[in-house]
Amino acid sequence: MRHIVAPMFASVSIRWKLILIAMATSTLALVLACGAFLAYEIIMGPKEMAMRLETLVKVVGFNTTAAIAFNDPSSAEQTLSALKASPNIYTADIYTNDGKLFARYSRPGDYVYLPKKSNKEGYRFVGNHLELTRPIILDNEKIGMICVYSDVADMYSKLKGYLAIASVVLIAASVVAFILSSTLQRIISEPILHLSKTAMSISVHKDYSVRVSKRGEDEVGELIDSFNEMLEQIHERDETLNELARSLERRVVERTAQLEDTNRELEAFTYSVSHDLRAPLRSIDGFSLAIQEDYTDKLDDAGKDYIDRVRAATQRMAQLIDDLLRLSRITRVEMRRESVNLSEMAREIIDELKNSNPEREAEIVIQPDVMAEGDPDLLKIALGNVLGNAWKFTSKASIGRIELGTTDIDGEQAYFVRDNGIGFDMAYAGKLFTPFQRLHAETEYPGTGIGLAIVKRIIARHEGRIWAEGVVGQGATFYFTL
Amino acid sequence: MEVLMRGKILINILIMVVFSTMPADAATEYDVKAAFLLNFAKFVDWPDSSFTGGDSPVVIGVLGDDPFGSALDNTVRNEKVKGRKLVVKRSKQLNDLKGSHILFVSSSEQSRLGAILRETSDWHTLTVGDVQGFANRGGVINFIIRDKKIGFEINTAAANRAGLKISSQLLKLAKII
Repeated sequence: MRHIVAPMFASVSIRWKLILIAMATSTLALVLACGAFLAYEIIMGPKEMAMRLETLVKVVGFNTTAAIAFNDPSSAEQTLSALKASPNIYTADIYTNDGKLFARYSRPGDYVYLPKKSNKEGYRFVGNHLELTRPIILDNEKIGMICVYSDVADMYSKLKGYLAIASVVLIAASVVAFILSSTLQRIISEPILHLSKTAMSISVHKDYSVRVSKRGEDEVGELIDSFNEMLEQIHERDETLNELARSLERRVVERTAQLEDTNRELEAFTYSVSHDLRAPLRSIDGFSLAIQEDYTDKLDDAGKDYIDRVRAATQRMAQLIDDLLRLSRITRVEMRRESVNLSEMAREIIDELKNSNPEREAEIVIQPDVMAEGDPDLLKIALGNVLGNAWKFTSKASIGRIELGTTDIDGEQAYFVRDNGIGFDMAYAGKLFTPFQRLHAETEYPGTGIGLAIVKRIIARHEGRIWAEGVVGQGATFYFTL
Repeated sequence: MEVLMRGKILINILIMVVFSTMPADAATEYDVKAAFLLNFAKFVDWPDSSFTGGDSPVVIGVLGDDPFGSALDNTVRNEKVKGRKLVVKRSKQLNDLKGSHILFVSSSEQSRLGAILRETSDWHTLTVGDVQGFANRGGVINFIIRDKKIGFEINTAAANRAGLKISSQLLKLAKII
């Protein structure tokens, strides 16, 4: 039954569930009890009535034996008149063995129903009447019959009375049950409702320091204990987490400050080292130039070759120091943000490149009005480096082709510069942006290998990403986001 | 089914009773009296000492000229009262009928009634008479005509003297002396 009833009341409050259960139980019990009582009355009432009547009739019948034996109907009638005491009886007849009516009693002041004489002994209910027939025995011999007709209105009115009482009791008991159960259900429902309300408020306000007050040592009390314990644990864990987060934050701030300090020191160190390296280098360069110019006739060919090499090395070192200084400057320079037209910027850069190599033919495809947000000076350096690389690595192609445009990568706008130059092996893609890392011989393509490192720093300062794709001999594509 | 007023019923009953019980001739009168003798036995208790054994019969004595003819024999034949058979004895001599439980004294004995009643006064015998004044003179029961019907009167003092217990039902029907 439970799996039928339970879903029907699934959304009913626990308070009403308890009231309903108590009401249903008490009402059902009462209905059953009243029903059993009424059923007993309905079944046993007529039987009892018949038995009472039979006892009466037996006595009366016995008292008429002499009257019958000595054929004295008036005496029999006198005896029968004792039935007056039982107002339900309206007719009593005595028949002799030959079937003749011997004596009759009729309820005074009443019309009577005169049933046909019945030879059937025992009682039966006919309509609203109880008909009872008994033999009259004298000395073990049947000398006649007595037939009594009694109305049963009394019995029915008694039953109606019982029914009325049962109804009144049922209603009164239901009212009492309702009052009692709606009062007593609080013993169970209140702690649960209190718990539920508190749980809800905790989940809304996230205040885990609240505790549910306990009202008993029953299962609900245990539940509240467990709930409070859980809250305690959550509260403690929260505290621990908060403490951890706070200390973590503190540590991050500390570390960041440390890192910034270290970085600054490192930059300053790099700068001063680079700067300080220049002076001795300049003196090596100056004196080797003096040797070249003033003592060239005193040197043989090997000596001249060595001096040339010293000079080339010092110039290369000077270039390296310049590059290092540039790289550190880019990290330190103040940044501003504004709208930049990359297409125009690219065109200017390409024009400069064309001017420096007027003999080269190249196909330039620039998507018009590619806009970006960023520092125009830094972006120009970055774009110049990327386009310069493209220009440099397409120098050996029959017709170099350089493209600038935008594309969509995973829902994000990315800029790209594509060329059909010598490309690179994807296995070394990670090394492209490391300072002083080169994938090609310096003799073939000049450069210190600082360019893409600078580009990566600039893009990083714009909080963007840069990556490259390439195939050896077929060109490379550089993507970046800003 | 018929519904009648109570008064009419009573009249009907009365008419019915009167006609059905009125003696039509002498023979039927003694048929009725024979039946009454038998029924008396049913409403009277004798002391145990009056019976010789548990199944010894109830003896009905007829003293003097027998007015019943075969009626009494026919009536008691195959009948039993309280488990006892009934036998009829007839005699002109009172002594022959000593030990009878019921002694019917015929109207032929009217002249020596005093002697008979004196003699039987210490017997445990239900004396039944058929002459006027029988009960008044010490007999226990006497047949009379009441309301044109055969009735009887009972001398309760005589019954007590004889050690007989007469049912209240029977007393109710009788004229008590």
